[in-house]
Amino acid sequence: MSDFLKIKNLKASIEGNQILKGINLEIGPGEVHAIMGPNGSGKSTLSSVLAGREDYEVEADEVTFLGKDLLDLAPEVRSREGLFLAFQYPVEIPGVSNINFLKAAINAKRHHQGLDDITAKDFIAMVKEKQALVELKENLANRSVNEGFSGGEKKRNEIFQMAMLEPKLGILDETDSGLDIDALKIVSNGVNKLRGADRSFIVITHYQRLLEYIVPDFVHVLFEGRIVKSGGKELALELEAKGYDWIKEEQEAIQH
Amino acid sequence: MSNTKANFLRQFDDITAVFPIQGDARAAIHNGLDFPTTRDEKWKYTRVSSILAKTFKRNDIAPLAHFSLVKNECQLVFINGSYQPDLSSALPSGCAMESMAEMKGETRDYMLTKLGRLANFKDQAFLGLNTSYFHDGAFLKVEKNAIIDQPINIINISQGQDQVSNVRNLICIEPNAQVQFVHRFEGDSNHEAFTNSVMEICVDENAHVDYYMIENEGAATTSINATYVSQARHSNFSMVTITKSGQLVRNNLHVAINDVGCETNMYGIYFTDGNQHVDNQTYADHRQPNCNSNELYKGVMADRSTGVFNGKIMVHQAAQQTNAFQSNQNILLGNRATINTKPELEIYADDVKCSHGCTIGQLDEEAMFYLQSRGLGKEAAHKLLVQAFASDVIEKIKIESVRKEVETFIESKFI
Repeated sequence: MSDFLKIKNLKASIEGNQILKGINLEIGPGEVHAIMGPNGSGKSTLSSVLAGREDYEVEADEVTFLGKDLLDLAPEVRSREGLFLAFQYPVEIPGVSNINFLKAAINAKRHHQGLDDITAKDFIAMVKEKQALVELKENLANRSVNEGFSGGEKKRNEIFQMAMLEPKLGILDETDSGLDIDALKIVSNGVNKLRGADRSFIVITHYQRLLEYIVPDFVHVLFEGRIVKSGGKELALELEAKGYDWIKEEQEAIQH
Repeated sequence: MSNTKANFLRQFDDITAVFPIQGDARAAIHNGLDFPTTRDEKWKYTRVSSILAKTFKRNDIAPLAHFSLVKNECQLVFINGSYQPDLSSALPSGCAMESMAEMKGETRDYMLTKLGRLANFKDQAFLGLNTSYFHDGAFLKVEKNAIIDQPINIINISQGQDQVSNVRNLICIEPNAQVQFVHRFEGDSNHEAFTNSVMEICVDENAHVDYYMIENEGAATTSINATYVSQARHSNFSMVTITKSGQLVRNNLHVAINDVGCETNMYGIYFTDGNQHVDNQTYADHRQPNCNSNELYKGVMADRSTGVFNGKIMVHQAAQQTNAFQSNQNILLGNRATINTKPELEIYADDVKCSHGCTIGQLDEEAMFYLQSRGLGKEAAHKLLVQAFASDVIEKIKIESVRKEVETFIESKFI
């Protein structure tokens, strides 16, 4: 296994409540890992902790991303190193233009890599190309970040930003929740086009349906802050058929 | 009269009265017209006692040695209240300026009929003080039907340690004229000074006026400003008050909407830090039907700085079909910054649309994290959010150079 992303015994608490109770996960380059689990199992906490949200107390034996201690990096540095979190609830930021913000983000990453600012010409060409990827209307790109966007537009905008920032690891935090089938297809299609040998994804979802469109290499079941089951894509189907109660009962049986 | 007041006023005794109105104003200020204290509702949060305890200097004409001022087009310069012809330049046709101190004959008589008409010295002691002792100022007239396409710059500079300046200006915009003013207050960066300014703007029928006030005096300066505006029918008056610096800044804006079909826009930006104190008081006086007024003041306060906003919309019984909107929004950075805000509506008409409100908050942490998660550093994210907060006032600034100046100022302010 390569050292693309290694998570060993990751624990996270908020206000004294332990949410993640020892996560172990290894992800190789180009792999797509789905993380499923019932509500409250810690799915969003995992994505938040990986992206660097400061609200949590975090400890782990090891969390390395491309050989670097991820927990040691500020959220902006994690991003510049190639980690991208597509938010479950993208934030509306009135007054900040989508385009200016993206340009600033791209340049921050380029500076981190020792490169100069992107040229206006290259930037415009890139925006055009990536917008098409998620069928984002041109005027959305010129509006304030997520302001007045529909739920579907917000999620498409997340994938658009991901496409622009060309991360090595994309974390999709319940990107499918609340999407109708058309929007789901567009978003999945966008993600699929971004898949490649050196780009990995963590797809966090509550529903199996998304995984029909973004077909994962591995599926993990998160339950009460631990990964309790891992398998191939067929595990998602099993979960869909049996429901999360199956996991609960199995866990209870183990504990007793 | 209290000893403090008597002592304070004594330093002005040697000034000769040059305008007829000054006799009455002096009588008022030496008698019942007292300086406000924090017991006065409108001055509850703004303490002026330290000004009254001081003896100031008056250099009517000071050297400009260290003040780099470019002689631009359409520029009128006053230092410590005195007109500086050498630093000033010609105004475009349709527009005339005269120094009040230099005026003679009929034009002076005409000016005197306008002077003090909008700003009644009996209203308030600092206005009384200004009226009593100012010695010069700009009298600006924009002729009927004149469309002035270049902004007119009025620059009031305060120079010298402990300088007191009673700055006075009067602008008459005749019917159908259209004009933009950029009124700057500049000053020595470190000197303590006191600027007490009064501006009267008379907007005639169907005239359009944009007025930008940029307060950029020294960090130790106390600045008390009164702006009185009157609007005749179908006129349009828009003002943006931009407070960039000053130790204590108090702005009184009073707009008398005297006739039908007027539009009034009052906007403001105040960004404070250190122990700055900025106080904006506004009054939109709707006296006649079918007028619209919009007001939006935005402030960001850091460190131990304090802000005050007190806006009042008065809708008289005759002023049916008034649309009047007022909003004051604030962001506090840091735990020791303070804002006291009071939006007020007083309505006597029964067919109006009015709203008022205020918000006080912090920078949105979720938005900060969102921006950081896209690679923006904390500082850049912070700046972007502050700029975004100010953007709906900034976009009201129609002169590009002023807009740029404000953007640059915001960028430099909170690093």
